[in-house]
Amino acid sequence: MYDFHNAALSPIQSLLLNIAILSIIVISLIRGERSLRDQSQWGMLFLLAVFGVSGRILLGPIPNVQPVTVLVLLAGAYFGAPRSIALAATIALASNVLLLGHGPWTLFQAIGWGGVGLLGALLANRIVVDGDVRVGFLAVIAAISGLAFNWFVSLSILLEVGPSMLIPYLLNGLVFDLYHVAGNVLFVAWMASPLGDMMHRHRSSPSFKAVIDRVPN
Amino acid sequence: MSDLLKPASVVALIVLILIAPSIQDRLSEETVRFVEDNESAHDGLPTEWEGKQVMCIHFPASSPHDMFSQGVTMIGTDGSDLGVNEDLNRTGACVGGFDGYSNGLDFMMDSTRLANGGLSVGYDVGQWGAFVHTIGGLNADTLTGDFNGAYWQLDHNGEYSMVGIGDLVMSEGDVITWSIGTW
Repeated sequence: MYDFHNAALSPIQSLLLNIAILSIIVISLIRGERSLRDQSQWGMLFLLAVFGVSGRILLGPIPNVQPVTVLVLLAGAYFGAPRSIALAATIALASNVLLLGHGPWTLFQAIGWGGVGLLGALLANRIVVDGDVRVGFLAVIAAISGLAFNWFVSLSILLEVGPSMLIPYLLNGLVFDLYHVAGNVLFVAWMASPLGDMMHRHRSSPSFKAVIDRVPN
Repeated sequence: MSDLLKPASVVALIVLILIAPSIQDRLSEETVRFVEDNESAHDGLPTEWEGKQVMCIHFPASSPHDMFSQGVTMIGTDGSDLGVNEDLNRTGACVGGFDGYSNGLDFMMDSTRLANGGLSVGYDVGQWGAFVHTIGGLNADTLTGDFNGAYWQLDHNGEYSMVGIGDLVMSEGDVITWSIGTW
C-alpha cells in the first residue's frame, strides 16, 4: 500500500504547515463574519468556537500558545458571562474530544476558561471603552488569566496524587505557564482590536443593552 | 501602546522558546528535590542493587510479556539473567546495578536495550516532551477494558513522577518503574 500521508515532518515544518492551515481558516472566518447579519451573536459565537478549536489544535507544536484564553476573555467583555462560558466549555470539550484527549481535566479547563469569560464580563466596562479595546489593559488581564487558568487546571492532578505533590508539579510547570502568558500577550497585541471590532458589530441585541445599562460605571 | 506591543510580544515569545529548555532543566533539578529517596523502592530487588540505579517494567495481568510472564526477572548491567522474584505479585523485568545516570531518558534507553529487544521502547516527542507509548511490544493505547484509557505510568522511587522521562533528573540509587495506569 502507498502511504503518501506518512511523510515525516520536523517540528518546525509541521508548525509552519499548521500556521498555514490556521491562516486559511482565519481568513475564511473573517469573510464569513462579513456575511453575518448584524445582530447574529450566535453566528459570531460559532465562528469564534471554530477559531478557538482549530487554533488550539493547530498551534499544538508550541506548548500552551493558543488563542482560546484571549477569545474567551473578549467574548466575556462583549457578549456577557453566560455566552462566553458556553463558548469556553464548547472549545475545551470539542478540542479535547477531537484530538487532545478527553478526561477529568476537560472539566477543569472548561471551568477555568469559563472563569476567564466571567472575568471578561465583570471587567467589560474597563476592557472596552468608547467601543475600542484597551489593548494594554487587556494584555495585563490576559497574562494574569493565563497564570490563573494554568494553576487552576493543575489542581486536577489532586485526583491522582496527594497535595504534597502539588508544589513540585506547579514548579515544574512554570515554563508552560510562561508560554501561556507570552502567547496571550501576543494574541492580545495582534488580534484584540480586529476581533473586538468584529464582536462589536454583533453585540447590539436589545437584551444585552439592557444588561449593560444597569452596570454602574 | 499597541504598536509597541506587537513586535515586543513576538520577540518575547521567541526569546522564551529559545531559553525554555535551560529554564526547564533548572526547574526539573529543583523539582527532583521534592522526590524523597524512598528506601522501600528497592524492596524485592537483588541486594547487590542497593544504592544502584534500577529500571523496572511491569506488565498488566491481561497482557503479560512473552518472556517475562512469570514473576519479575532481574537482569544485570551485562544483560545476564540474575534470577526471577516470584513473590512480588506482578510480572515483568527489572534491569539494575547502574551508576552515574542523570538523564531519565538516556537511562531508560540504555537499560532496556540489555533485555535483547524484549523491552524495546517506543516514544513520541510531543508538546510536553518524550511520551512513551510502547514498552516491550505493549502499546498502552491498544489496551481496552473497564476504563477510558490506558497509559504507561512512570514512578520515581515509588512515587508518581511529576515529570516525563525526558525531564527526569536521576540521582544514585533511584528506581524507575513503569506500569500501566488507567483513567
